[in-house]
Amino acid sequence: MNAPVSHALPLEQPQAIAPPRQSVISLEGVRKTFASPGNDSVEVIRDITLDIKQEEFVSIVGPSGCGKSTMFNIISSLLEPSDGKITLRGSDPVCGARIGYMLQRDLLFPWRTIIDNVCLGLEVKGVSKAKRYEMAREQLARYGLADFADQYPNTLSGGMRQRVALIRTLITEPDLILLDEPFSALDYQTRLVLEEEIVSILKEHRKTVVLITHDIGEAIAMSDRVAVMTKRPTSVKKVYDVGLSRELGSCLKARSDVRYQQLFDRIWDDLDIQVAGGAA
Amino acid sequence: MSEAQVYTHTIQSGSNRENCEAPGRSILLTDNLWRGAGIALVVVLWQLGVNLGWINSFLMGSPAGIAEEAWRLLQSGQLLDDTLATVSATIAGFLLGSVLGSVCGLLLWFSRTTARIIDPFMVALNGLPKIALAPMIIIWFGSGMFSKIMLAFVATFVVALLSAYQGTHQIDRNMINLMRSLGGSRREIFTKVVAPATLPWIISAFRLNIGFALIAEIGGEFISSDRGLGRMIFVAGNLFNLNVVWVGVIVLMMVAIALYVVVSKVEKRLLPWENK
Repeated sequence: MNAPVSHALPLEQPQAIAPPRQSVISLEGVRKTFASPGNDSVEVIRDITLDIKQEEFVSIVGPSGCGKSTMFNIISSLLEPSDGKITLRGSDPVCGARIGYMLQRDLLFPWRTIIDNVCLGLEVKGVSKAKRYEMAREQLARYGLADFADQYPNTLSGGMRQRVALIRTLITEPDLILLDEPFSALDYQTRLVLEEEIVSILKEHRKTVVLITHDIGEAIAMSDRVAVMTKRPTSVKKVYDVGLSRELGSCLKARSDVRYQQLFDRIWDDLDIQVAGGAA
Repeated sequence: MSEAQVYTHTIQSGSNRENCEAPGRSILLTDNLWRGAGIALVVVLWQLGVNLGWINSFLMGSPAGIAEEAWRLLQSGQLLDDTLATVSATIAGFLLGSVLGSVCGLLLWFSRTTARIIDPFMVALNGLPKIALAPMIIIWFGSGMFSKIMLAFVATFVVALLSAYQGTHQIDRNMINLMRSLGGSRREIFTKVVAPATLPWIISAFRLNIGFALIAEIGGEFISSDRGLGRMIFVAGNLFNLNVVWVGVIVLMMVAIALYVVVSKVEKRLLPWENK
Protein backbone atom coordinates (compact mmCIF):
# COMPACT_ATOMS: atom_id res chain seq x y z
CA MET A 1 0.00 0.00 0.00
CA ASN A 2 2.26 2.74 -1.17
CA ALA A 3 0.64 6.11 -0.75
CA PRO A 4 0.45 8.24 -3.88
CA VAL A 5 3.06 10.95 -3.83
CA SER A 6 2.28 14.35 -5.20
CA HIS A 7 5.04 15.78 -7.35
CA ALA A 8 4.71 19.46 -7.91
CA LEU A 9 6.77 20.82 -10.76
CA PRO A 10 9.37 23.46 -10.04
CA LEU A 11 7.32 26.39 -11.24
CA GLU A 12 8.27 30.01 -11.09
CA GLN A 13 4.79 31.09 -10.13
CA PRO A 14 2.27 29.32 -7.95
CA GLN A 15 -0.22 27.16 -9.80
CA ALA A 16 -3.52 28.73 -10.70
CA ILE A 17 -5.60 26.19 -8.87
CA ALA A 18 -8.67 27.27 -7.00
CA PRO A 19 -8.98 26.92 -3.20
CA PRO A 20 -9.89 23.51 -1.77
CA ARG A 21 -13.30 22.37 -2.90
CA GLN A 22 -15.72 19.68 -1.99
CA SER A 23 -14.66 16.31 -3.26
CA VAL A 24 -16.95 14.75 -5.87
CA ILE A 25 -15.66 11.24 -5.92
CA SER A 26 -13.14 9.61 -3.70
CA LEU A 27 -11.69 6.17 -4.03
CA GLU A 28 -10.14 4.70 -0.93
CA GLY A 29 -8.07 1.55 -1.15
CA VAL A 30 -10.12 0.24 -4.05
CA ARG A 31 -9.13 -3.30 -4.96
CA LYS A 32 -10.51 -5.65 -7.56
CA THR A 33 -9.83 -9.32 -8.03
CA PHE A 34 -11.47 -11.60 -10.53
CA ALA A 35 -12.07 -15.29 -10.07
CA SER A 36 -10.26 -17.21 -12.76
CA PRO A 37 -10.53 -20.82 -13.87
CA GLY A 38 -8.61 -23.05 -11.49
CA ASN A 39 -9.63 -21.40 -8.22
CA ASP A 40 -6.94 -18.75 -8.43
CA SER A 41 -8.11 -15.22 -8.30
CA VAL A 42 -6.43 -12.61 -10.42
CA GLU A 43 -5.69 -9.31 -8.80
CA VAL A 44 -6.25 -6.60 -11.36
CA ILE A 45 -6.36 -3.57 -9.12
CA ARG A 46 -4.38 -3.56 -5.90
CA ASP A 47 -4.97 -0.17 -4.41
CA ILE A 48 -6.37 2.98 -5.88
CA THR A 49 -6.74 5.91 -3.58
CA LEU A 50 -7.72 9.10 -5.30
CA ASP A 51 -9.78 12.08 -4.33
CA ILE A 52 -11.30 14.20 -7.05
CA LYS A 53 -12.59 17.65 -6.21
CA GLN A 54 -15.40 19.72 -7.60
CA GLU A 55 -14.66 21.07 -11.09
CA GLU A 56 -11.36 19.27 -11.27
CA PHE A 57 -10.10 17.55 -14.43
CA VAL A 58 -8.08 14.49 -13.47
CA SER A 59 -6.47 12.06 -15.86
CA ILE A 60 -5.56 8.50 -15.08
CA VAL A 61 -2.66 7.30 -17.20
CA GLY A 62 -1.37 3.79 -17.14
CA PRO A 63 0.70 1.39 -19.20
CA SER A 64 -1.37 -0.77 -21.51
CA GLY A 65 -3.01 -3.67 -19.74
CA CYS A 66 -3.13 -1.83 -16.44
CA GLY A 67 -6.76 -2.68 -15.84
CA LYS A 68 -8.04 0.47 -17.43
CA SER A 69 -11.43 -0.89 -18.32
CA THR A 70 -11.83 -2.42 -14.88
CA MET A 71 -11.09 0.98 -13.39
CA PHE A 72 -13.59 2.55 -15.74
CA ASN A 73 -16.28 0.05 -14.82
CA ILE A 74 -15.64 0.53 -11.12
CA ILE A 75 -15.73 4.32 -11.25
CA SER A 76 -18.85 4.25 -13.41
CA SER A 77 -20.31 1.82 -10.85
CA LEU A 78 -20.91 -0.91 -13.41
CA LEU A 79 -18.64 -3.11 -11.28
CA GLU A 80 -18.38 -3.46 -7.52
CA PRO A 81 -14.88 -3.25 -6.08
CA SER A 82 -13.73 -6.31 -4.13
CA ASP A 83 -12.45 -4.10 -1.38
CA GLY A 84 -12.24 -0.44 -0.54
CA LYS A 85 -14.70 2.37 -0.73
CA ILE A 86 -16.02 4.74 -3.36
CA THR A 87 -17.86 7.80 -2.25
CA LEU A 88 -19.74 9.94 -4.67
CA ARG A 89 -21.18 13.20 -3.51
CA GLY A 90 -23.60 14.78 -5.83
CA SER A 91 -24.67 18.31 -6.41
CA ASP A 92 -28.02 17.59 -8.00
CA PRO A 93 -28.97 14.00 -7.41
CA VAL A 94 -32.59 14.49 -8.44
CA CYS A 95 -32.26 15.36 -12.10
CA GLY A 96 -29.00 13.85 -13.12
CA ALA A 97 -27.51 10.51 -13.79
CA ARG A 98 -24.74 10.57 -11.24
CA ILE A 99 -21.99 9.58 -13.59
CA GLY A 100 -22.03 10.29 -17.29
CA TYR A 101 -19.45 8.79 -19.55
CA MET A 102 -18.03 8.98 -23.00
CA LEU A 103 -16.08 6.22 -24.67
CA GLN A 104 -13.77 5.85 -27.60
CA ARG A 105 -16.80 4.73 -29.57
CA ASP A 106 -19.54 7.31 -29.48
CA LEU A 107 -22.22 4.68 -28.84
CA LEU A 108 -24.85 6.71 -30.60
CA PHE A 109 -27.76 4.41 -31.35
CA PRO A 110 -27.86 4.09 -35.14
CA TRP A 111 -31.66 3.69 -35.10
CA ARG A 112 -32.21 7.01 -33.36
CA THR A 113 -31.96 10.41 -34.92
CA ILE A 114 -29.40 12.79 -33.45
CA ILE A 115 -31.98 14.56 -31.32
CA ASP A 116 -33.38 11.29 -30.02
CA ASN A 117 -29.87 10.14 -29.18
CA VAL A 118 -29.28 13.33 -27.24
CA CYS A 119 -32.58 12.80 -25.42
CA LEU A 120 -31.85 9.23 -24.37
CA GLY A 121 -30.92 10.02 -20.77
CA LEU A 122 -33.80 12.44 -20.32
CA GLU A 123 -36.19 9.88 -21.75
CA VAL A 124 -35.03 7.29 -19.22
CA LYS A 125 -35.43 9.90 -16.49
CA GLY A 126 -39.02 10.40 -17.57
CA VAL A 127 -38.73 13.99 -18.82
CA SER A 128 -41.68 14.82 -21.08
CA LYS A 129 -41.12 14.73 -24.81
CA ALA A 130 -41.76 18.44 -25.35
CA LYS A 131 -39.43 19.39 -22.54
CA ARG A 132 -36.60 17.10 -23.57
CA TYR A 133 -36.78 18.14 -27.21
CA GLU A 134 -36.63 21.75 -26.14
CA MET A 135 -33.54 21.06 -24.01
CA ALA A 136 -31.90 19.00 -26.74
CA ARG A 137 -32.54 21.56 -29.48
CA GLU A 138 -31.06 24.27 -27.33
CA GLN A 139 -27.89 22.28 -26.71
CA LEU A 140 -27.57 21.15 -30.32
CA ALA A 141 -27.91 24.73 -31.48
CA ARG A 142 -25.29 25.81 -29.01
CA TYR A 143 -22.73 23.45 -30.49
CA GLY A 144 -23.63 24.09 -34.11
CA LEU A 145 -25.41 20.78 -34.63
CA ALA A 146 -28.98 22.10 -34.95
CA ASP A 147 -29.16 21.24 -38.64
CA PHE A 148 -28.41 17.60 -37.92
CA ALA A 149 -31.11 17.09 -35.28
CA ASP A 150 -33.28 14.89 -37.48
CA GLN A 151 -30.52 12.96 -39.22
CA TYR A 152 -29.24 9.54 -38.33
CA PRO A 153 -25.76 9.20 -36.84
CA ASN A 154 -24.31 7.45 -39.90
CA THR A 155 -24.47 10.71 -41.83
CA LEU A 156 -22.18 12.51 -39.37
CA SER A 157 -18.39 12.58 -39.18
CA GLY A 158 -16.53 10.99 -36.29
CA GLY A 159 -15.83 14.32 -34.61
CA MET A 160 -19.43 15.43 -34.90
CA ARG A 161 -20.64 12.14 -33.49
CA GLN A 162 -18.37 12.53 -30.47
CA ARG A 163 -19.76 16.02 -29.97
CA VAL A 164 -23.28 14.60 -30.01
CA ALA A 165 -22.18 11.94 -27.53
CA LEU A 166 -20.84 14.69 -25.27
CA ILE A 167 -24.12 16.60 -25.44
CA ARG A 168 -25.98 13.41 -24.64
CA THR A 169 -23.75 13.02 -21.58
CA LEU A 170 -23.98 16.65 -20.44
CA ILE A 171 -27.71 17.03 -20.85
CA THR A 172 -28.47 14.76 -17.89
CA GLU A 173 -26.21 16.94 -15.73
CA PRO A 174 -24.13 14.21 -14.13
CA ASP A 175 -22.02 14.94 -11.05
CA LEU A 176 -19.00 13.38 -12.64
CA ILE A 177 -18.03 12.88 -16.24
CA LEU A 178 -15.89 9.92 -17.04
CA LEU A 179 -14.01 9.91 -20.33
CA ASP A 180 -12.48 6.68 -21.61
CA GLU A 181 -10.09 7.51 -24.44
CA PRO A 182 -12.80 9.48 -26.17
CA PHE A 183 -10.54 10.63 -28.99
CA SER A 184 -8.48 7.60 -29.86
CA ALA A 185 -10.66 6.67 -32.83
CA LEU A 186 -10.26 10.10 -34.42
CA ASP A 187 -7.55 11.45 -36.66
CA TYR A 188 -4.90 13.64 -35.08
CA GLN A 189 -6.23 17.02 -36.19
CA THR A 190 -9.83 16.32 -35.22
CA ARG A 191 -8.47 15.07 -31.97
CA LEU A 192 -6.64 18.28 -31.13
CA VAL A 193 -9.66 20.38 -32.07
CA LEU A 194 -12.06 18.23 -30.09
CA GLU A 195 -9.71 18.06 -27.11
CA GLU A 196 -9.76 21.83 -26.96
CA GLU A 197 -13.47 22.04 -27.49
CA ILE A 198 -14.38 19.45 -24.92
CA VAL A 199 -12.17 20.98 -22.25
CA SER A 200 -13.76 24.37 -22.82
CA ILE A 201 -17.29 22.93 -22.84
CA LEU A 202 -16.64 21.01 -19.65
CA LYS A 203 -15.15 24.06 -17.96
CA GLU A 204 -18.05 26.17 -19.08
CA HIS A 205 -20.43 23.66 -17.52
CA ARG A 206 -18.19 23.54 -14.43
CA LYS A 207 -17.93 19.79 -14.65
CA THR A 208 -15.79 17.41 -12.70
CA VAL A 209 -14.02 15.09 -15.09
CA VAL A 210 -11.99 11.91 -14.95
CA LEU A 211 -10.17 10.97 -18.14
CA ILE A 212 -8.81 7.47 -18.46
CA THR A 213 -6.25 7.22 -21.22
CA HIS A 214 -2.88 5.89 -22.20
CA ASP A 215 -2.10 8.99 -24.22
CA ILE A 216 0.31 10.91 -22.01
CA GLY A 217 0.15 14.04 -24.15
CA GLU A 218 -3.62 14.19 -24.05
CA ALA A 219 -3.59 13.78 -20.29
CA ILE A 220 -1.10 16.60 -19.78
CA ALA A 221 -2.77 18.91 -22.26
CA MET A 222 -6.21 18.61 -20.70
CA SER A 223 -5.83 17.95 -17.00
CA ASP A 224 -5.45 19.70 -13.70
CA ARG A 225 -3.88 16.58 -12.27
CA VAL A 226 -2.49 13.41 -13.77
CA ALA A 227 -2.45 10.17 -11.80
CA VAL A 228 0.09 7.68 -13.12
CA MET A 229 -0.70 4.03 -12.58
CA THR A 230 1.57 1.04 -12.22
CA LYS A 231 1.30 -2.15 -14.20
CA ARG A 232 -1.07 -4.86 -13.05
CA PRO A 233 -1.95 -5.25 -10.22
CA THR A 234 -2.57 -1.56 -10.51
CA SER A 235 -2.01 1.08 -7.91
CA VAL A 236 -1.41 4.82 -8.07
CA LYS A 237 2.29 5.46 -8.64
CA LYS A 238 2.42 9.22 -8.68
CA VAL A 239 0.11 12.18 -8.98
CA TYR A 240 1.26 15.27 -10.85
CA ASP A 241 -0.25 18.70 -10.54
CA VAL A 242 -0.52 20.03 -14.06
CA GLY A 243 -3.16 22.65 -14.71
CA LEU A 244 -1.48 23.85 -17.91
CA SER A 245 -4.65 24.17 -19.95
CA ARG A 246 -6.40 25.95 -17.09
CA GLU A 247 -3.48 28.33 -16.66
CA LEU A 248 -2.90 28.99 -20.36
CA GLY A 249 -6.54 28.75 -21.38
CA SER A 250 -5.96 26.25 -24.14
CA CYS A 251 -4.87 22.67 -24.67
CA LEU A 252 -2.88 23.60 -27.76
CA LYS A 253 -0.96 26.20 -25.83
CA ALA A 254 -0.43 23.65 -23.09
CA ARG A 255 1.08 21.32 -25.64
CA SER A 256 3.63 23.91 -26.71
CA ASP A 257 4.58 24.96 -23.18
CA VAL A 258 8.04 23.96 -21.99
CA ARG A 259 6.58 22.24 -18.93
CA TYR A 260 4.56 19.95 -21.17
CA GLN A 261 7.67 18.20 -22.43
CA GLN A 262 9.17 17.96 -18.95
CA LEU A 263 6.04 16.34 -17.62
CA PHE A 264 5.82 14.10 -20.63
CA ASP A 265 9.35 12.79 -20.01
CA ARG A 266 8.71 12.19 -16.35
CA ILE A 267 5.46 10.36 -16.88
CA TRP A 268 7.03 8.34 -19.66
CA ASP A 269 9.75 7.28 -17.21
CA ASP A 270 7.17 6.45 -14.58
CA LEU A 271 5.25 4.23 -16.94
CA ASP A 272 8.45 2.26 -17.51
CA ILE A 273 7.39 1.22 -20.99
CA GLN A 274 9.68 -1.34 -22.57
CA VAL A 275 10.41 -0.35 -26.12
CA ALA A 276 11.01 -3.45 -28.18
CA GLY A 277 14.46 -3.47 -29.76
CA GLY A 278 15.42 -0.30 -27.93
CA ALA A 279 18.80 0.16 -26.30
CA ALA A 280 18.74 -1.65 -22.99
CA MET B 1 -22.78 -21.24 -35.98
CA SER B 2 -23.18 -21.58 -39.69
CA GLU B 3 -26.64 -20.18 -39.09
CA ALA B 4 -25.17 -16.90 -37.99
CA GLN B 5 -23.02 -16.79 -41.08
CA VAL B 6 -26.00 -17.31 -43.30
CA TYR B 7 -27.83 -14.46 -41.65
CA THR B 8 -24.88 -12.11 -41.69
CA HIS B 9 -24.45 -12.89 -45.31
CA THR B 10 -28.07 -12.10 -45.97
CA ILE B 11 -27.75 -8.81 -44.19
CA GLN B 12 -24.68 -7.95 -46.20
CA SER B 13 -26.20 -8.95 -49.46
CA GLY B 14 -29.13 -6.79 -48.44
CA SER B 15 -26.92 -3.75 -48.26
CA ASN B 16 -25.19 -4.70 -51.50
CA ARG B 17 -28.55 -4.80 -53.15
CA GLU B 18 -29.06 -1.25 -51.91
CA ASN B 19 -25.92 -0.27 -53.74
CA CYS B 20 -27.14 -1.93 -56.90
CA GLU B 21 -30.37 -0.02 -56.73
CA ALA B 22 -28.58 3.23 -56.21
CA PRO B 23 -27.70 3.85 -59.90
CA GLY B 24 -29.99 6.15 -61.79
CA ARG B 25 -33.12 5.46 -63.80
CA SER B 26 -31.36 5.07 -67.13
CA ILE B 27 -29.07 2.33 -65.84
CA LEU B 28 -32.05 0.57 -64.31
CA LEU B 29 -33.84 0.80 -67.64
CA THR B 30 -30.88 -0.63 -69.53
CA ASP B 31 -30.61 -3.47 -67.02
CA ASN B 32 -34.27 -4.27 -67.45
CA LEU B 33 -33.95 -4.17 -71.24
CA TRP B 34 -31.13 -6.71 -71.05
CA ARG B 35 -33.17 -8.89 -68.72
CA GLY B 36 -36.16 -8.76 -71.06
CA ALA B 37 -33.96 -9.55 -74.02
CA GLY B 38 -32.49 -12.55 -72.16
CA ILE B 39 -35.93 -13.96 -71.43
CA ALA B 40 -37.10 -13.34 -75.01
CA LEU B 41 -34.04 -15.12 -76.38
CA VAL B 42 -34.65 -18.21 -74.24
CA VAL B 43 -38.33 -18.29 -75.21
CA VAL B 44 -37.60 -17.90 -78.92
CA LEU B 45 -34.83 -20.54 -78.94
CA TRP B 46 -37.02 -22.92 -76.93
CA GLN B 47 -39.99 -22.52 -79.27
CA LEU B 48 -37.72 -22.77 -82.31
CA GLY B 49 -36.19 -25.97 -80.92
CA VAL B 50 -39.67 -27.44 -80.39
CA ASN B 51 -40.79 -26.45 -83.90
CA LEU B 52 -37.66 -27.92 -85.48
CA GLY B 53 -38.05 -31.11 -83.48
CA TRP B 54 -34.81 -30.66 -81.48
CA ILE B 55 -36.69 -30.37 -78.19
CA ASN B 56 -39.26 -32.90 -77.07
CA SER B 57 -42.21 -30.76 -76.03
CA PHE B 58 -43.83 -33.71 -74.25
CA LEU B 59 -40.92 -33.84 -71.79
CA MET B 60 -40.01 -30.15 -71.74
CA GLY B 61 -43.18 -28.26 -72.57
CA SER B 62 -43.16 -25.41 -75.03
CA PRO B 63 -43.63 -21.65 -74.73
CA ALA B 64 -46.65 -21.72 -76.99
CA GLY B 65 -48.17 -24.58 -75.00
CA ILE B 66 -47.48 -22.78 -71.73
CA ALA B 67 -49.14 -19.63 -73.02
CA GLU B 68 -52.12 -21.60 -74.21
CA GLU B 69 -52.56 -23.39 -70.87
CA ALA B 70 -52.05 -20.16 -68.96
CA TRP B 71 -54.78 -18.49 -70.99
CA ARG B 72 -57.14 -21.41 -70.51
CA LEU B 73 -56.50 -21.55 -66.74
CA LEU B 74 -56.92 -17.81 -66.46
CA GLN B 75 -60.21 -17.84 -68.30
CA SER B 76 -61.64 -20.67 -66.27
CA GLY B 77 -60.63 -18.78 -63.14
CA GLN B 78 -58.86 -21.83 -61.80
CA LEU B 79 -55.42 -20.23 -61.90
CA LEU B 80 -56.61 -17.27 -59.90
CA ASP B 81 -58.31 -19.50 -57.31
CA ASP B 82 -55.26 -21.70 -56.91
CA THR B 83 -52.91 -18.74 -56.72
CA LEU B 84 -55.05 -17.00 -54.15
CA ALA B 85 -55.32 -20.14 -52.06
CA THR B 86 -51.57 -20.73 -52.09
CA VAL B 87 -50.62 -17.11 -51.57
CA SER B 88 -53.06 -16.50 -48.72
CA ALA B 89 -52.07 -19.67 -46.86
CA THR B 90 -48.38 -18.93 -47.39
CA ILE B 91 -48.68 -15.36 -46.17
CA ALA B 92 -50.79 -16.35 -43.17
CA GLY B 93 -48.34 -19.05 -42.09
CA PHE B 94 -45.35 -16.87 -42.91
CA LEU B 95 -46.61 -13.92 -40.87
CA LEU B 96 -47.75 -16.06 -37.98
CA GLY B 97 -44.46 -17.96 -37.79
CA SER B 98 -42.14 -15.04 -38.45
CA VAL B 99 -43.84 -12.61 -36.09
CA LEU B 100 -44.39 -15.06 -33.24
CA GLY B 101 -40.92 -16.54 -33.72
CA SER B 102 -39.27 -13.11 -33.66
CA VAL B 103 -41.20 -12.09 -30.56
CA CYS B 104 -40.26 -15.31 -28.76
CA GLY B 105 -36.63 -14.96 -29.84
CA LEU B 106 -36.54 -11.40 -28.53
CA LEU B 107 -38.18 -12.35 -25.25
CA LEU B 108 -35.56 -15.04 -24.69
CA TRP B 109 -33.18 -12.14 -24.04
CA PHE B 110 -34.84 -11.77 -20.65
CA SER B 111 -33.93 -15.27 -19.56
CA ARG B 112 -30.56 -16.69 -20.39
CA THR B 113 -31.48 -19.81 -18.45
CA THR B 114 -34.54 -20.56 -20.57
CA ALA B 115 -32.54 -19.85 -23.70
CA ARG B 116 -29.77 -22.20 -22.59
CA ILE B 117 -32.18 -24.99 -21.76
CA ILE B 118 -34.16 -24.87 -24.99
CA ASP B 119 -31.16 -24.18 -27.22
CA PRO B 120 -30.48 -27.81 -28.29
CA PHE B 121 -34.17 -28.32 -29.06
CA MET B 122 -34.24 -25.24 -31.22
CA VAL B 123 -31.10 -26.32 -33.05
CA ALA B 124 -32.61 -29.77 -33.65
CA LEU B 125 -35.89 -28.31 -34.87
CA ASN B 126 -34.04 -25.86 -37.05
CA GLY B 127 -32.07 -28.65 -38.70
CA LEU B 128 -35.16 -30.76 -39.25
CA PRO B 129 -36.65 -30.42 -42.75
CA LYS B 130 -40.05 -29.15 -41.68
CA ILE B 131 -41.74 -30.91 -44.57
CA ALA B 132 -41.13 -34.15 -42.65
CA LEU B 133 -43.84 -32.98 -40.29
CA ALA B 134 -46.35 -32.60 -43.12
CA PRO B 135 -48.00 -36.04 -42.83
CA MET B 136 -48.66 -35.49 -39.14
CA ILE B 137 -49.87 -31.95 -39.55
CA ILE B 138 -52.20 -33.01 -42.36
CA ILE B 139 -53.59 -35.82 -40.20
CA TRP B 140 -54.20 -33.36 -37.36
CA PHE B 141 -55.52 -30.41 -39.32
CA GLY B 142 -56.97 -32.02 -42.45
CA SER B 143 -56.09 -31.50 -46.09
CA GLY B 144 -57.57 -28.01 -46.31
CA MET B 145 -55.68 -24.77 -46.27
CA PHE B 146 -55.47 -24.63 -42.48
CA SER B 147 -52.97 -27.47 -42.40
CA LYS B 148 -50.86 -25.57 -44.99
CA ILE B 149 -50.92 -22.49 -42.79
CA MET B 150 -49.71 -24.60 -39.90
CA LEU B 151 -46.95 -26.08 -42.03
CA ALA B 152 -45.74 -22.67 -43.14
CA PHE B 153 -45.96 -21.55 -39.54
CA VAL B 154 -43.78 -24.42 -38.32
CA ALA B 155 -41.32 -23.85 -41.16
CA THR B 156 -40.83 -20.17 -40.35
CA PHE B 157 -41.18 -20.02 -36.58
CA VAL B 158 -37.88 -21.59 -35.56
CA VAL B 159 -35.88 -19.67 -38.16
CA ALA B 160 -37.32 -16.39 -36.92
CA LEU B 161 -36.82 -17.34 -33.30
CA LEU B 162 -33.18 -18.33 -33.71
CA SER B 163 -32.39 -15.32 -35.83
CA ALA B 164 -33.92 -12.87 -33.37
CA TYR B 165 -32.28 -14.59 -30.43
CA GLN B 166 -28.88 -14.55 -32.12
CA GLY B 167 -29.45 -10.91 -32.94
CA THR B 168 -29.88 -10.11 -29.26
CA HIS B 169 -26.44 -11.62 -28.67
CA GLN B 170 -24.73 -9.31 -31.12
CA ILE B 171 -25.66 -6.17 -29.27
CA ASP B 172 -22.80 -3.98 -28.18
CA ARG B 173 -22.41 -4.56 -24.43
CA ASN B 174 -21.46 -0.90 -24.09
CA MET B 175 -24.86 0.22 -25.31
CA ILE B 176 -26.52 -1.79 -22.56
CA ASN B 177 -24.03 -0.44 -20.02
CA LEU B 178 -24.82 3.06 -21.19
CA MET B 179 -28.51 2.46 -20.55
CA ARG B 180 -27.67 1.05 -17.13
CA SER B 181 -25.56 4.05 -16.25
CA LEU B 182 -28.43 6.31 -17.23
CA GLY B 183 -30.63 4.37 -14.82
CA GLY B 184 -32.60 2.43 -17.43
CA SER B 185 -34.64 -0.54 -16.27
CA ARG B 186 -34.41 -3.94 -17.94
CA ARG B 187 -37.62 -3.20 -19.76
CA GLU B 188 -36.24 0.09 -21.05
CA ILE B 189 -33.03 -1.60 -22.12
CA PHE B 190 -35.18 -4.08 -24.01
CA THR B 191 -37.38 -1.53 -25.77
CA LYS B 192 -34.73 1.09 -26.42
CA VAL B 193 -31.72 -1.09 -27.27
CA VAL B 194 -32.41 -4.80 -27.66
CA ALA B 195 -35.48 -4.63 -29.88
CA PRO B 196 -34.27 -1.96 -32.33
CA ALA B 197 -30.76 -3.43 -32.48
CA THR B 198 -32.21 -6.82 -33.38
CA LEU B 199 -34.57 -5.49 -36.02
CA PRO B 200 -32.14 -5.99 -38.94
CA TRP B 201 -31.78 -9.65 -37.93
CA ILE B 202 -35.52 -10.05 -37.74
CA ILE B 203 -35.98 -8.54 -41.19
CA SER B 204 -33.35 -10.83 -42.65
CA ALA B 205 -35.16 -13.82 -41.13
CA PHE B 206 -38.35 -12.56 -42.76
CA ARG B 207 -36.58 -12.55 -46.09
CA LEU B 208 -35.34 -16.13 -45.64
CA ASN B 209 -38.76 -17.20 -44.44
CA ILE B 210 -40.45 -16.26 -47.71
CA GLY B 211 -38.66 -19.21 -49.26
CA PHE B 212 -39.23 -21.54 -46.31
CA ALA B 213 -42.95 -20.74 -46.16
CA LEU B 214 -43.36 -21.41 -49.88
CA ILE B 215 -41.49 -24.73 -49.63
CA ALA B 216 -43.71 -25.83 -46.75
CA GLU B 217 -46.85 -24.67 -48.53
CA ILE B 218 -46.11 -26.36 -51.84
CA GLY B 219 -44.78 -29.49 -50.15
CA GLY B 220 -47.95 -29.70 -48.09
CA GLU B 221 -50.09 -29.28 -51.18
CA PHE B 222 -48.14 -32.07 -52.92
CA ILE B 223 -48.97 -34.44 -50.09
CA SER B 224 -52.62 -33.71 -49.67
CA SER B 225 -54.76 -30.79 -50.67
CA ASP B 226 -57.89 -29.70 -52.42
CA ARG B 227 -56.57 -26.47 -53.96
CA GLY B 228 -53.50 -24.43 -54.66
CA LEU B 229 -50.64 -24.02 -57.10
CA GLY B 230 -48.76 -26.93 -55.51
CA ARG B 231 -51.69 -29.21 -56.13
CA MET B 232 -52.03 -27.91 -59.68
CA ILE B 233 -48.36 -28.63 -60.37
CA PHE B 234 -48.51 -32.03 -58.70
CA VAL B 235 -51.60 -33.18 -60.60
CA ALA B 236 -50.34 -31.87 -63.94
CA GLY B 237 -46.96 -33.51 -63.37
CA ASN B 238 -48.60 -36.87 -62.77
CA LEU B 239 -50.50 -36.42 -66.04
CA PHE B 240 -47.30 -35.43 -67.89
CA ASN B 241 -48.85 -32.06 -68.67
CA LEU B 242 -45.56 -30.17 -68.52
CA ASN B 243 -47.07 -26.95 -69.83
CA VAL B 244 -49.37 -26.65 -66.81
CA VAL B 245 -46.43 -27.47 -64.53
CA TRP B 246 -44.55 -24.57 -66.10
CA VAL B 247 -47.50 -22.25 -65.59
CA GLY B 248 -47.50 -23.13 -61.90
CA VAL B 249 -43.74 -22.70 -61.58
CA ILE B 250 -43.75 -19.32 -63.31
CA VAL B 251 -46.61 -18.02 -61.15
CA LEU B 252 -44.78 -19.24 -58.04
CA MET B 253 -41.68 -17.34 -59.08
CA MET B 254 -43.75 -14.21 -59.53
CA VAL B 255 -45.29 -14.72 -56.11
CA ALA B 256 -41.84 -15.12 -54.53
CA ILE B 257 -40.58 -11.94 -56.19
CA ALA B 258 -43.66 -10.03 -55.10
CA LEU B 259 -43.26 -11.15 -51.48
CA TYR B 260 -39.58 -10.29 -51.60
CA VAL B 261 -40.37 -6.79 -52.85
CA VAL B 262 -42.93 -6.34 -50.08
CA VAL B 263 -40.41 -7.38 -47.40
CA SER B 264 -37.82 -5.02 -48.90
CA LYS B 265 -40.30 -2.17 -48.80
CA VAL B 266 -41.16 -2.96 -45.21
CA GLU B 267 -37.46 -3.09 -44.42
CA LYS B 268 -36.96 0.37 -45.84
CA ARG B 269 -39.77 1.67 -43.68
CA LEU B 270 -38.58 -0.06 -40.52
CA LEU B 271 -34.86 0.54 -40.90
CA PRO B 272 -34.68 4.12 -42.15
CA TRP B 273 -31.21 4.55 -40.63
CA GLU B 274 -29.79 1.94 -42.97
CA ASN B 275 -30.78 3.91 -46.06
CA LYS B 276 -27.94 6.08 -47.13
